[in-house]
Amino acid sequence: MQALLSFDKTPPFAAPLRFFITAPLFSLAAGLLLLWVGPDLLASRWTPGLLAATHLVTVGFMLMVMLGALIQILPVVAGANLEHPLAVARWLHASLSAGALLLAAGFLLRQGALLGTAAIILGLGVVAFLVASGRALAGVPSTSPTIRGLKLALVGLAGAVGLGAWLAVTIANGWRVALPSLADLHAGWALGAWAGTLLAALAYVVVPMFQLTPGYPARPSWWFPGVLLGLMVAWGLAVCLDLPEGIRLAQVLSAVAGIGFALLTLRLQQQRRRARSDVTYRCWQLGLASAILALAMTLTATAWPALADLAGWSIFAGILLLVGGFMSLIIGMLYKIVPFLAWMHLRYRGSARSPVPSMNKLLPEADAQRQMRAHAVALALLLAAVIAPDWLTRPAGVALAVASGWLMLNLLGAVRRYRQHLEKLDREAVAA
Amino acid sequence: MSHPKAQHVVDARYMEPPEPFVQTMEMLDTLKPGEKMLLLLFREPHPLYKVLRQNGHAYETELLADGTFEILIWR
Repeated sequence: MQALLSFDKTPPFAAPLRFFITAPLFSLAAGLLLLWVGPDLLASRWTPGLLAATHLVTVGFMLMVMLGALIQILPVVAGANLEHPLAVARWLHASLSAGALLLAAGFLLRQGALLGTAAIILGLGVVAFLVASGRALAGVPSTSPTIRGLKLALVGLAGAVGLGAWLAVTIANGWRVALPSLADLHAGWALGAWAGTLLAALAYVVVPMFQLTPGYPARPSWWFPGVLLGLMVAWGLAVCLDLPEGIRLAQVLSAVAGIGFALLTLRLQQQRRRARSDVTYRCWQLGLASAILALAMTLTATAWPALADLAGWSIFAGILLLVGGFMSLIIGMLYKIVPFLAWMHLRYRGSARSPVPSMNKLLPEADAQRQMRAHAVALALLLAAVIAPDWLTRPAGVALAVASGWLMLNLLGAVRRYRQHLEKLDREAVAA
Repeated sequence: MSHPKAQHVVDARYMEPPEPFVQTMEMLDTLKPGEKMLLLLFREPHPLYKVLRQNGHAYETELLADGTFEILIWR
């Protein structure tokens, strides 16, 4: 049974865990930033506070969890084993933590030097990960849409971080470039070519596996990551060649592709064979619905640019996509991944005398459901704060901080129960 | 349950882990020399592939249009 999980090549629990436990601290910090700065933070897309908060969520929370999860699941979903996973994890975790904080500080304090330093630190960490994962995937043929998607997502990550680093260096040196269109391109690569592609590649595996849905149809699954990356390349070319119509077309088609993927996933979920709606299912429903609405808003604003100039339109869509979409989907996955890994590591160490606690005992469903409701309240308040910033910016910040802290406590609770059982096994081994 | 490709089939498409692995290993234990089995899943089971290679089994995987992976296994 131990061979069942191919355990000998499984990275140690400490490798991904450090990412999962610390990620909520960064979204908590984003909440505190809203509380501290107040309504001015939401005055435009480009306020220093909003740029700082956005990167605390995207780099500190999203990128942190995504890369931590990849270290763990590359062997499982692609048969690709990272060499020295713990060393890669330590380096990457330190780089992401320091980089996210420096980036936020650089925006907030308007210090170009801090942004430049953050770009170097994040760049070094991500390059190390890309080299390690690239070597692991180099000999792996693309036999499934997931493996193909993972490889293309890593190209997306390289592009997103490269563009981000270039933007940071540009700002640090005061070079005169068209910052808004480059920032949009950076966001497109980060959320489409990287995060969206990775999400899809993993969804092909985890949605049918954990939610007992039908599989994703092979042909669209195969083409989706390539089409998204191709659209991002086209968007980049249109920026370089200064073709506004080309930029708009690439944006429209990317949003349509994202909506198509989200609608397909919702349809598969409707056909699931699991009668009970667990927290992961609910998080994914919230995440997919939010993402569809956010992308529809982006689509509408691309078709009618006057809408994008409306106060709050792009901020509202951004919150929907990041906090409502990606964060909800990631939280849903964390509630499966963390107890599953704890259970798997205990099972490996387990004995006949001490049966391994179930995943639900390691991280109770009721705790997760309550936290998920807090996250939904935070999302609603954040969206409402865009409409009534004077009244609701600070309460929304508190709500985001509470929901994030609660997530961390739930995950720490699972780790505590895991360690308690491990100590019990050690005591039994000594007694025997 | 049988299939044109193999007499023995484990349809694990709506099973939660680790049930697909457990049922596949149990089925492999019952195979007579020369017999093949087919595992149906909505994902490629890389950890299982590794165990199959370690145990001297051969396998061949085909992805169908509906997203099903057909994994034909024999010794």
